[in-house]
Amino acid sequence: MTLDQLIENESGIIKQINDESLAIQLLAMGFLIGEEVKLERVAPLNDPILITSGTNHISIRKIDAKNIDIEKIR
Amino acid sequence: MSENTSKNIILIGNPNTGKSSLFNSLTGLNQKTGNFPGVTVDKKTGVFYIDQTKVKITDLPGTYSLNPNSEDEKVAKKHIEEATINDIIIVVTDATNLKRNLLLYTQIIDQGKQVILVLNMMDLLQKNKHEIDITKLSKLLNCPIIPINARIGKGIEELKFAINNYKIKKNNFIENNHTSNPVDETMLRLNKINQIVIDCLTKNGEDKSYLLTKKIDNIITHKFYGYLIFIGILFFIFQAIFAWSAYPMNLIETGFLWLSNVVSNGLPKGVLNDLLVNGIIAGLGGIVIFIPQIAILFALITILEDTGYMARVSFLMDRILRQFGLNGKSIIPLLSSTACAIPAIMSARTISNYKERLITIMVAPLISCSARIPVYTILIALVVPQDSYFGIFNMQGLLIMGLYLLGFVAAILSAWVMKLIIKSKQQSTFTLEMPIYRAPRWSNIGFEIFSKVKIFLFDAGKIIIAISIILWVLSSYGPDKNFKKITDKYATESIQQQYSKQEINAFVAAEKLEASYAGIIGKTIEPVIRPLGFDWKIGISLVTSFAAREVFVGTMATLYSVGDENNTKSIREKMMTAIDHQTGKKIYTKATTFSLLIFYVFAMQCMATLAIVYRETNSIKWPIIQVVYMGALAYISSFLVYNIFS
Repeated sequence: MTLDQLIENESGIIKQINDESLAIQLLAMGFLIGEEVKLERVAPLNDPILITSGTNHISIRKIDAKNIDIEKIR
Repeated sequence: MSENTSKNIILIGNPNTGKSSLFNSLTGLNQKTGNFPGVTVDKKTGVFYIDQTKVKITDLPGTYSLNPNSEDEKVAKKHIEEATINDIIIVVTDATNLKRNLLLYTQIIDQGKQVILVLNMMDLLQKNKHEIDITKLSKLLNCPIIPINARIGKGIEELKFAINNYKIKKNNFIENNHTSNPVDETMLRLNKINQIVIDCLTKNGEDKSYLLTKKIDNIITHKFYGYLIFIGILFFIFQAIFAWSAYPMNLIETGFLWLSNVVSNGLPKGVLNDLLVNGIIAGLGGIVIFIPQIAILFALITILEDTGYMARVSFLMDRILRQFGLNGKSIIPLLSSTACAIPAIMSARTISNYKERLITIMVAPLISCSARIPVYTILIALVVPQDSYFGIFNMQGLLIMGLYLLGFVAAILSAWVMKLIIKSKQQSTFTLEMPIYRAPRWSNIGFEIFSKVKIFLFDAGKIIIAISIILWVLSSYGPDKNFKKITDKYATESIQQQYSKQEINAFVAAEKLEASYAGIIGKTIEPVIRPLGFDWKIGISLVTSFAAREVFVGTMATLYSVGDENNTKSIREKMMTAIDHQTGKKIYTKATTFSLLIFYVFAMQCMATLAIVYRETNSIKWPIIQVVYMGALAYISSFLVYNIFS
């Protein structure tokens, strides 16, 4: 599944980022392949979303989240 | 060490690492921000001394890596690539987020650069009961490491010592394997960094810094309260600009009136006296008076950015702004535009999507900047008394807020039109870090206000003074033949018996102004601007305003002080009683004043902004389009407003 399919407070492990430029950006901002990511908050108008990994907190658009493959943690 | 040795230092680091705090505590007020054409705009530079050694320091825009994703990061990358073996690069990191922050460091090291690593926010690290074994880390990275707390200036002396005693060394982090793609290479670096951090970092407690932030975010980004708070803050800013600045502004106004009287009476009458009083002091007074407003505006905007609130506004607004071809990050340029379009347009560099960045640049000047405040203030005072209130709100403040709103709406709608016209295949992205909330660093805000006011006063001031002098010449001299005719006309006995000497002087001055070169220019364009309700004096102001909008006030001051020998009245009073030479009625009626206000809301009257747009878009096409579309908007709207109110 992809990151945009999570709902608030659900987490997953990042498997792959399908867009190279997005991948480089996310890696540099502390979102690593193989590490846990949590969907912390959805903006009031349903987009963008606030995601966290460790102490890193960033906001991305759902269209970009679609490019991030994850495995959901239950 | 001899006195003339000097060192070069480059500061780089992730955003929100306290880089600018460090820069400020190293340089003090000895710094330059290039925010104006002709000065380097990309960077802040400063100078400080370690013993006798002069150190030049450059502060680069915050960047996450050397794989640039925005114009901002490209600038940083380019500067790093150009650094020589003798330049020391100080990589500033957030000690509480070492893993991520070290990526940039390893990329710089592998370019063969000389680096000192600075660990900032050591206080926060200790608060979380985390410990970094600095000796070990320094050994593993083979690099000098200085822990600091830039907020209170701790560790600065140690850093200076390290700079002074730096020894060039050969260093690399990962072996150069050319086959890997950037994603694999970055992962390789991060994995190695991870090992090092595990070796050096001891956690005796949990990182609780986000708990409070999360609670605040529940309110700040709430679907209802979030927007309400944002609107409330905007409202507060506008009321603050007017309520808080009224007293210092009155003081400055009185001060300049006093000064011009002293000079006028103290010096012998003549050309020099006239030039000083009506050219230079009048022009200068017109600028200085707006410093309180500009300072308040920049202070509030800086506080909002510094606390981390601005990132939340971007988060709230991205969805809305996207509909109009903009980006959540556009909110910073748009809001900064309320102070000045120049730094605003430069701050659009953080928007990685070309089309969204371009549209942001194109519409930013429609947002009313502080240079318009002088124009608004003086014009609104002509039609709305200072002490009129609507409920608890100051009427003048409300009106100005309305004008700002008008500019904002125009910007949004223009953006939407451009979204439909401009084509781009690049996918739009919006990745924005949400920093933890923190108290504003008051000294940073002080530095920011200082540098912005300095730019306004000196860079804009230079242009304004020059224009004031040119204007004084143009309005004091004209074709000799015409001037003689006027003198002759009032020299006849019949007139001299009919009027007092003072009255005649005023008549002569008024007619001379009309016959002067300035009058001729104004008269030439008068037919074009008549449909908007403007006379030739306003015409002159429109021409001079093209250098910078606030010149309007100076121009008005100069134009109306010609003939007021005793200099007893303020500009406002003079404009209030001004007469239209064609109709013989008061010129600043509601219709003309509102029409003029609308014209200043929309028209592109700033050379400096155009120069920046040219530089940032790297094309002459965009500034030209900007002048044309904003001009058309201004002319048509003013025409409508004038006809509605008259």
